[in-house]
Amino acid sequence: MLEAVSAMASVMGDPYLLGLITVTTVLGIIIGVLPGLGATTGAALLLPFTLTMDPVHAIAVLATLYVSATFAGSITAILINTPGTSAAAATTFDGFPLAQRGEAGRALGVAVVSSTIGGIFSILVLCLAAPMLAKVAYEFRPPEYFALTIFGLSMLASVGAGGAVKNLIGGIFGVWLATIGAERVTSIERFMFGNYELYEGLSFVPVMIGLFAISELLVQSKHAHRVADMVTLKAVKLPSREDYKRIWKTIARSSGIGTFIGILPAEGATVASMIGYSEARRWSKKREEFGKGSVEGIAGAEAANNAATGGAMVPTMVLGIPGSGTTAIILVGLMVHGLRPGPYLFTEQVESVYQIFGSMLVANIIFLGMGLYAAKLFARISLIPTAILWPIVFALSVIGAYALSASLLDVWIALIFGVVGFFARRHGFSVAPIAVGLILGHMVEVNLQNSLKMFDGAWWMILTQPLALLFLVLAFLGLFGSQIVKLITRGGRAS
Amino acid sequence: MRPLIIPGILAAFSVVIIYLAMQLKLSPPMIVGHSMQPRSFPIFLMVINLILIGILAWECWRAPPPAIELEGITTWVSIATFAAFYFLTTHADFFIAIAVVMFVLSTSWGERRLHVAALISVTVPLTLFLLFDEVLKIRFPRGLITNWYYG
Repeated sequence: MLEAVSAMASVMGDPYLLGLITVTTVLGIIIGVLPGLGATTGAALLLPFTLTMDPVHAIAVLATLYVSATFAGSITAILINTPGTSAAAATTFDGFPLAQRGEAGRALGVAVVSSTIGGIFSILVLCLAAPMLAKVAYEFRPPEYFALTIFGLSMLASVGAGGAVKNLIGGIFGVWLATIGAERVTSIERFMFGNYELYEGLSFVPVMIGLFAISELLVQSKHAHRVADMVTLKAVKLPSREDYKRIWKTIARSSGIGTFIGILPAEGATVASMIGYSEARRWSKKREEFGKGSVEGIAGAEAANNAATGGAMVPTMVLGIPGSGTTAIILVGLMVHGLRPGPYLFTEQVESVYQIFGSMLVANIIFLGMGLYAAKLFARISLIPTAILWPIVFALSVIGAYALSASLLDVWIALIFGVVGFFARRHGFSVAPIAVGLILGHMVEVNLQNSLKMFDGAWWMILTQPLALLFLVLAFLGLFGSQIVKLITRGGRAS
Repeated sequence: MRPLIIPGILAAFSVVIIYLAMQLKLSPPMIVGHSMQPRSFPIFLMVINLILIGILAWECWRAPPPAIELEGITTWVSIATFAAFYFLTTHADFFIAIAVVMFVLSTSWGERRLHVAALISVTVPLTLFLLFDEVLKIRFPRGLITNWYYG
């Protein structure tokens, strides 16, 4: 424990890391306020810039961007009724009406304070829960890992905007993408079409850049001529004592909800903020104010979405299972920098892990200050014309895709996945399941192969392992639980 | 039939992948042991996908999704610039291609000040080139400009 505290505190004694966190927090807020960009696209674009950094600094930069961009989405949600990130969608319900009443400063104040408390709470939980989970995960063997990845994939049913079936199809497509290249055991080439640059498989980075950044560029092209109206913002102020009295319970509840939802594999900040908001409404004594400018509504959504960031880091770092699109990119960052995600990270690289957690904590404190004193300035950035912004995103995307392996093939892959991602989104398929499937694909196949070897080809023996069975049952319930409940209630009514 | 177009395309894709997987070489039992052949896993995935596509087709048939409007010219121009980017990169220079695509994107997305679009299209790739080349030490592909720069 002392080692963890000292590693986290060491962040304060590293001026270079502190500088990086500060710059990335500013960058994250800018990315968060720009409609369409968001934490995931921002992380995909930033990843190539971290290539030459020390692994801890690189992951700290990505994690900082994650927390600051998630918070910043609320600035435009409140001021121009356009959530900078999908996680801030619930903030518009009450943030914008409050801003229209001339209380934009109060709305932003509540959002900043709630986000900070939610974020810090989840990091503290992360610090406590991650090592405990790592101890359990340390005992996992291939059958448990196989079942866990199946559980992670089953949770894709509820991630992103598409329906459950569409998300699962996307996830399986992602897993299939992971089979491209030479098969690990036999070296038999699969789906390479004679291209030996694909021998080691598809690189994650260009696929991520394509799916998130370039597909978003094409989506945004539909809104190329949109002009946003900005509500006049007076000084941002801290919530009053009355506000605190009204929102402290909401913040506490939403922080817990957000952290818990973040921990669930493949769930993320967007789901957390929606549940945080609806729970705030359910428990409120002034429900009639919701949708018309309730500070509890803002606090409920914002505390939950930022709490989800810390929660989502738990499965990412402990189990190697990303909790969202952004954590999928952070996971890629860990792999690119030679840090092996999983329980071993907590024994082999414990200091690095806590430095990363410490960086996230510092980022939360920095964005509290920036949110309170510079929100007006950041809000203006959201008015940058799309005709200037998105061509820059294009340049960053293609150069970033090239940078990892100095290969033009990666650039073409990014562009192809950009177009594929665009058409997928056009037809209601979310791209996050494809990304998560690609990352988990290798784990699923390797652990299935190893399990089969372990049990001499008797696949059903996987079901005899208690933890593996638990994960598979959870996966089954996650996929079919609601249908089973419906069938039971229908049967009950009929009788 | 319109609601079944997307499930149909996805099903065709899955069948093609199964066919391609069936063409993969078989590995000798002494290497594979009790594990799977390299073709088994992709086939297994695509069979699950076909089941899911069947459910999707049924859902689309029961409650057809609303018709999607065709994208405006800006989107199609943006996609076309990717093809132009490929051509220019392979025949001229990576950075010329980026600058041209940025300029076309910017103007087609509504930037009327051509000098601003041109300025952004030149300065952004140049800055990124210097950053990646000088700081991150990444060599870019040979082309008209990079040949001149690298010598």
